[in-house]
Parts: sequence; structure tokens; C-alpha cells
Amino acid sequence: MNQADLSKLVSALRIAVKPKPRPLSCPEGPAGRLRKLRATVTALVKYERIELYYPRAEEAQGYAERLISDAIRNGDCHKHTMEMADYWLNEKQLVHKLFKVLVPRYQNYNSSFSRLVLGPNSYPGYFAGTAILELKGNPFPALQPETHNYHYWLHNVLLDEAKKEFRSAREERNAGTTESVTAES
Amino acid sequence: MLRRAVLQTFRQGLAQSFFKRNAVSLSETTVTHQTVETSDEGGEKFVSTQKTGDESGNTVIVAPPEFRFMYPEFLPDPAMETRNRLKEKLERMDMLQRRSVIEIPEFYTGSVMAVTVSDANSPNKFARFVGICIQRGGSGLRAWFILRNVVEKQGVEILYEMYCPLIQKIEVLRLERRLDESLLYLRDALPEYSTFPLDMEPERRLNNLVVPINPLKVKLRPRPWLERWERQNLQGVEDLNLPQRFYDKAEKVAKPWEKYDLMLHYRKTIPAEEQEKIFAEVQSQLQQQELKRKMRRRRGSDNEQ
Repeated sequence: MNQADLSKLVSALRIAVKPKPRPLSCPEGPAGRLRKLRATVTALVKYERIELYYPRAEEAQGYAERLISDAIRNGDCHKHTMEMADYWLNEKQLVHKLFKVLVPRYQNYNSSFSRLVLGPNSYPGYFAGTAILELKGNPFPALQPETHNYHYWLHNVLLDEAKKEFRSAREERNAGTTESVTAES
Repeated sequence: MLRRAVLQTFRQGLAQSFFKRNAVSLSETTVTHQTVETSDEGGEKFVSTQKTGDESGNTVIVAPPEFRFMYPEFLPDPAMETRNRLKEKLERMDMLQRRSVIEIPEFYTGSVMAVTVSDANSPNKFARFVGICIQRGGSGLRAWFILRNVVEKQGVEILYEMYCPLIQKIEVLRLERRLDESLLYLRDALPEYSTFPLDMEPERRLNNLVVPINPLKVKLRPRPWLERWERQNLQGVEDLNLPQRFYDKAEKVAKPWEKYDLMLHYRKTIPAEEQEKIFAEVQSQLQQQELKRKMRRRRGSDNEQ
């Protein structure tokens, strides 16, 4: 049983966070893991949509969300947030982009700031498959078609009513036959 | 008249916090809600709880931000695999029930405390121990703290579970903080830093608003030690004066990237929104208990007079 660490206040992330982090093998070991994820997070903030392998995308999504949520919560005058932004973004102009573009964009968001979509897998290939990691509100065309609620469209309403009528008629017929059977027995 | 006025305002639902002490934290804390300070007749400052409105226009009670330092055991264990909201809620109810029976005061690592437990084998049926709190941990009903003292040249540490029903009384004799969150190095320090008289009287605080941070730097005994203190970045210890090879090995073994590991920090703590929800839930009950204790103390001092 451990007590929660109180030294930092963090915002709740609106993505699914797994209990354990992934190791991400590299020659330097654990030191290299953050170096690789830094490159991914920098690329995500720079290009706003990147295609990469799924495990690294999932890890980088967490770090990107944490960086943006810290920037929104604390602003750019907060020393710790600026240190984190300086570490995680390899290009210094992206620190300006984070605070001046992304923070106002995501200020009033009630959802996550990024989207992780499974990408095409060509056989043979990396077993975990590709993924596309993008920041929401990017200027590119949408990856997935918009989902509409077709439930209240006229033909669906008529079909649902027709199904209900058919089912109730069938139940009456079955009830009629069972009653006649019980009456006979 | 004043007492009735105070009760009336309480009944009207104006929640005024009676927690005058703002814990001074070592790291930066962001205050997400504004605190309004109003001064009482006695010249003491009160921090009123912010009644913010949510989208539907209903008032939402928000606890003061210091609550997470004063009551860290109300926050659950951050390990995701073992979290269960219902269990945590029931545990908080039980904790409040216990707190209504016995006063568990605000304390920090570095405070000198006296704990009285009921002991069947002792002649007075009670056993009292005075010591400095070197570590506290656990969450919920299993929250504990360790008191250390040197008794007849023998170092003694006792782990007390805060919500154990055997505990009769917890007194804070000296409320202060140190430069570190864990004072386990006192085991390897000179005994004078861990010695406190067993009949120590509670000390009066100079400033009720702020918990002072004692900048004491402790001198350690010569090696061998129980832990490799040079690897732990201790603030409250004097210069260790070790040969350079110790510091070189410490650098080799160090993990400097963990300082920047945002997800590691996230998995070790409870998010701010959840903390606010938890403390908003328990805040009114804690306030009521504090108010009742104050009334009892005031009535007691009036009777004495």
C-alpha cells in the first residue's frame, strides 16, 4: 500500500492508461526509451498526424496528453512545465507552438487531445501493426467517416415498427396454438 | 450570543473553513480555485471554502487545496490494478467515523508526537510513547506512521496505524516539517537528533497559519550505514564527506531520466479532479468535527475560568 505522491498536481487524462508502461527495447536500455518517445512526441506536435507502429504510438500518446494537460493547467510561466516542454520537444519552436497554438485549441476540450487509429497492416509485417496518431483539430481531412445516428431516419423508423408488428403477430399465433394444445390435454 | 450566531451561520449553510493553517509545501502547488480570506474579531485569518458554480448553476463545494497535505491517507493507493471506487468510499466513511471518536491531528514527517495506546500488559493499562515522525504511509484505514526516539541509549521505532481502535490519544507536541519527506537517515545519525524527553510538553506555535519547515542538517555517524544515503539526494543531511568513488558509482547507477517521465509521475499519483472530488466529499464532516472539538475546548476553558 503506497500513499499517493503529493508533490505534483496532474490533470486526469481522458485516454485509457494501462497500469504498466511498455519497455520499448533499445541499445541504451531504459535511458533510450524516453529518447525514442521524445522523438515521437516532437514529431506529433510538429506534423499533427504521424504513422508509426502501434506500441510506440500508444506510449507516446500518454506522454503527449500529459504534456498538453500540464501546459493547460499551469501555463508557460510555471517552471516545471517549461522544463518538461523543453525536454520533450526537441525543436524549440515547438515549445512556442505548444503554448501559443495547442493550449488555446484544447483549453475547453472535455475529451482527449489526441486520437489513435489502427492503420493498415501488410503481410508479412510487424506483428503489432501500424497506427496513426494525430492531434484533434488538425487541418487534414478526417481519417474515419463521420458517424451519424441513422436511428430516426424515416425508413428505419418504419422498418422498426414493421418488425414489432411482425413479432407481436407471431407471439399471438404461438399463444393461440399453445392454448389449443393445453385445452386438448 | 456569539455561539448562537456561529451555529446559525453554520445552519444557514455558509461553509467557513476553520483550518487556519496552510501547509507550506516544498514544491510548487497550483491553486485552481481562489480562496477568499476574511478576518475574524480575534484577528485570525479564515480561509473560506470556495463555492463555485457548475454548468447547471448549482453550488459545488470545493475543499481548500491544503487538504491533500493535511489528510494524505484519504487519497487511495494510486496502483491501478487494485482500485475499487466502492471500497474507497466505504473506507472513507469508516475513517470519518473513527475521526469523530478520536482526534487525529494534522502532522507531518518531522513532527514530534506522543501516542497513547491501550496495552493489557502494562500496569496502567496504557502505554505512552513520544517520538519524531520519520515516515508516514499507507492509504485509507491502513495509514501508518513511524515514531522514533532514543530511550536509555537504545533507538526505538514504533509503527502506529492511525485508525487502530487501540489508540487512545495522538498528540502533536511540536508541529513542523523537515527538508525531506522521509527521515529514515536518523537511524544512521548521531543519537542526539532522535532523542526527545518522554515527558515533553506540547509546544505553542508562534504562527498558526504556516507550518514551519525546520532547515536542520543532520550529522551522520561514520560508515557503515543502513542505506546508501549518497544516492538519495537528501536535503536534510550535512555533507557526507565520502571518497569520490561513492559519488561516481552513484552517478553511474542514477536514473536522471525519471525526472522527466511524465507517465511515471501520473501512475504514482491521483489526478487533481479526483482529489477535489474526494476532499469535497469528506470536507464538511471534517469541518463539523473540528468545530465540535473547538466548542468543547472553549467550553472546557470557560469552565476552568
